[in-house]
Amino acid sequence: MTGEGKAPVRRGAIWIVAEQAGGTLAPVSLEILGQALRMARAAGGCEVAAVLIGKDAGGLASVLAWLGADKVFLVDDPRLLPFQNDTHGAVLTRLIVREDPGVVLFGASACGEELAPTVAARLDTGLGAHCTNLDLSADGLLMMGVLGFGGRVHTEMFCPARRPQMASVKPGMFQPPPRADRKGIVVREDAAALLEGETIRLRAVKVVRKEPEGVPLEGADVVVAGGFGIGGKEPWALLDDLARELSGAVGCTRPALDEGWTSGDHAMIGTSGKTVRPKVYLGFGISGSPHHTVGIKDAGVIVSVNSDPRAPMFESSDYCVVSDFRKIVPALIREIRKVKGDSLREPSPA
Amino acid sequence: MSGFHIVVLVKPVPDPGCYDRVEIDPATGALARQGMPSVLNPSDRHALEEALSLQERHGGRVTLVSMTPESSAETLREALAMGGDEAVILSDRAFAGSDSLATSRVLAAGIAKVAPFDLVLAGNESADGGTVHVPSQVGELLGVAHLANVVRLEVDADGSVRARTRIENGYVEMEGALPMVLGVRREINTPRYTSLMGVMASQGKPIRVLGAEEIGIDGSRVGMDGSNMRPGKLSRPEYCRKGERVKGDPEEAAARIVGILRAEGVLG
Amino acid sequence: MAELKFTQQQEMLRKAVREFVEKEVKPVAARLDTESRFPMDIFLKMGKLGFAGVFVPQQYGGAGLGMTERAIILEELGRHAAGLAMALMTHHLGVDAILSYGTEEQKKKYLPDLAAGKKISGLAVTEPTGGSDVAGQLSTAVREDGRWVINGRKCFITNSSNAEVNVITARTGEDAKGRPAFSAFIVENSVEGFSPGREEDKVGLRGSSTGDLLMNGCNVGDASLLGGEGNGMKMALSLFTKIGRTGMAAIGLGILRACLEDGVKFAKDRVLYGKPLSKLQAIQFEIAQIRIDYEAARLLTYNAVGLKEGGAGADAEIAAAKYFATEGAVRAAKRTMDLMGGYGVINEYPVGRYMRDALTTISCGGTSHIMQIIVAGQTLN
Repeated sequence: MTGEGKAPVRRGAIWIVAEQAGGTLAPVSLEILGQALRMARAAGGCEVAAVLIGKDAGGLASVLAWLGADKVFLVDDPRLLPFQNDTHGAVLTRLIVREDPGVVLFGASACGEELAPTVAARLDTGLGAHCTNLDLSADGLLMMGVLGFGGRVHTEMFCPARRPQMASVKPGMFQPPPRADRKGIVVREDAAALLEGETIRLRAVKVVRKEPEGVPLEGADVVVAGGFGIGGKEPWALLDDLARELSGAVGCTRPALDEGWTSGDHAMIGTSGKTVRPKVYLGFGISGSPHHTVGIKDAGVIVSVNSDPRAPMFESSDYCVVSDFRKIVPALIREIRKVKGDSLREPSPA
Repeated sequence: MSGFHIVVLVKPVPDPGCYDRVEIDPATGALARQGMPSVLNPSDRHALEEALSLQERHGGRVTLVSMTPESSAETLREALAMGGDEAVILSDRAFAGSDSLATSRVLAAGIAKVAPFDLVLAGNESADGGTVHVPSQVGELLGVAHLANVVRLEVDADGSVRARTRIENGYVEMEGALPMVLGVRREINTPRYTSLMGVMASQGKPIRVLGAEEIGIDGSRVGMDGSNMRPGKLSRPEYCRKGERVKGDPEEAAARIVGILRAEGVLG
Repeated sequence: MAELKFTQQQEMLRKAVREFVEKEVKPVAARLDTESRFPMDIFLKMGKLGFAGVFVPQQYGGAGLGMTERAIILEELGRHAAGLAMALMTHHLGVDAILSYGTEEQKKKYLPDLAAGKKISGLAVTEPTGGSDVAGQLSTAVREDGRWVINGRKCFITNSSNAEVNVITARTGEDAKGRPAFSAFIVENSVEGFSPGREEDKVGLRGSSTGDLLMNGCNVGDASLLGGEGNGMKMALSLFTKIGRTGMAAIGLGILRACLEDGVKFAKDRVLYGKPLSKLQAIQFEIAQIRIDYEAARLLTYNAVGLKEGGAGADAEIAAAKYFATEGAVRAAKRTMDLMGGYGVINEYPVGRYMRDALTTISCGGTSHIMQIIVAGQTLN
């Protein structure tokens, strides 16, 4: 689809809306910055700017500039933390109207899921949701790839006429920018002016954060995942044991989550859950529905164990073991302990 | 009138249990959804349950509003069997092809038609689209406060609202006041089962169908013409890998897997 | 002649019942069978949704629907947990006894709790002298100081351990021709001298309790007499037909459908000789037979229920439906078990339970032999 539409397409700046979360930048903010920089380069070069709306966020703004943003719009005010869709919505809308970027990317975090549609409504522009891939053409048209029907259908979406073209991006889809000592500039905005006249109807009273136990799925080198085939909370303990032996993270499919065998939905891997890219993924009792396999498509090596030889999971795996996980996992743990025991006994190099 | 008027936005969607049947027509490149039965969007049941709980506590009315073809009336009646006083279907050929903002315009106009309202509840996401946009955008268009990802809700008789919204690894306690639009997550409640009495009562509940003219919305602001987003190419993502079979008894298979772990550098 | 068609409301009702059964009953069905446990918690939930009092008028707290809706509920329940369906079926016997024959006081006193599923009911007629020989009952109710004293022992009574409101028949005298006359009494399980006896360990229908009821000098007032003195036999036989056999037919139909659905799924999934089992003609014949039995049982059952609701006697039609649906369920269970091969005889699969439940339905509500006698009797008259 080319740039047909009511208004002439031109290449404006690519913006990313960064998120201040728990004293640092949300990981997805770095991911969309990485993708924005890649797209800018591939499209022949254009400005990449970051917007950071929060409180005492000067240090974080500098990090964004250092990682490659040409410009960082910093809007710093006590009223801007915690996030609220009305305060952040007002500020971002006014900035966009003033600066007229071509593309604005959001992380599809909880905040992004409110901020993006709020601003899209105020600006009457298009918004692609939970995009799993993005591409910017030379003349500035953004292709937004979205998944539907449980990961079975991929649709390319476009916003041909209105500007900016907005997209919220699924966490885990892109890579953060590689270390680069680029010095973009941080522009401190007048927060009071940007909030002027806006009726604020909401009040964030308390924020509670609790890190879940265990190794987080994001960034884990090894992921041990279980599906409906595990059959119960007791057998699930085998997977926890295996993950512990490997210092890996435990993940699950939606059916296993719905059965209540896992610690919470932070463990779910899939289209409506997390995307992981471990070096090794070990899946047990997973049938392999697209909902889940989308979440592991960029994993290094995928090993699947299932007692059903016709499980679709085997088509999406590098190595397939047709067996009962109740036999394989204990054998695996024994083998791993043997290897770890051997490596302890080996004399260290002189 | 005591109590609130709560509007619940509901949407019949293709049964997620039948997603394996979705096909892309090779000739037209369009989606073929033949033979996929319709169910009430799973998230919407939770929105309806929350509305019914509030109705039991405070009194008042619950109206279901849906932008859907008239042929989905049966699914709306099933929702009414769970609870609710009446349903309004917004149906018009002009609405076809609406993106989430255009859909929100139609819904906002429909809600205005059944106004005054105190609270609009919606399921956080729809099973087929999953955009999470509707609660925020309907709120913006109606000019009222809105929140998404609500996992707990308290509403007092004076209209003050305390809502807990879910964030990554935690939550935020928000305060506000009616009127509001809220998108709720499934963990907010357990929807009630439909009783026999509910089935019987649903037969007599009114289901109105309103078109573009009746809700007073301009055709250029809805449907394909009113949508800023345009769909392009459809494809089936394939995640094929080499699929090499690991043979042997559990000990042999385990040894092979350990070999892979060592080769990838994640084990000693 | 129009086809047998349910109304839109009945289809919606079936969908709502099925959703409840699949979410609440199906996951525990196997355990209810192995533990032979009656789930009071599920029964209460069913009460809240209107199942326990489906045909009780709304003024007494029921859903105010009819026998067709009741049959739909029993079919859907029977599809996954025939034992639990049996408990509900039997509960309805006591409920209808009070609804059809009770005084206004008795209805007001008992029906609301029974309709809500808060209390469970049952009908106790069978004795060691024989269930098929109802006139051979030995329990007596003797007049003493303006009250009734009941003595006797009932056996094979469903809901024996759980029913708080029992409808019991006992001999109260003789009729004009010198034959024994029976009356029905409402006996609450709190009455002194009343106790459920030993619970039987059944082959099938294990989600319901079945056992003895012992009446040892149970002293009850006239307010407990149900339907007038001497009408006990007429009432019991009428209830057996209207509530008992129609219910058993619906449960048998549910088991039949279970065998059909599980058989079809297995035939499609199981690969043998490189292709699904369903490609083999021998298997296709078995599936066809199950399907034909199911369709016939379905039509017989709902037609009989409809006839009865319309006011016809329908004794033969109801007996035929009970006979065909339950015997059909036994045949279907054997067929499904056989086509599943080794898997059919592993308890991880429910088909063994379907078989045991089907076999057990034969002797409930009148045996297959009695059903044939009823059909022949009406045919040859």
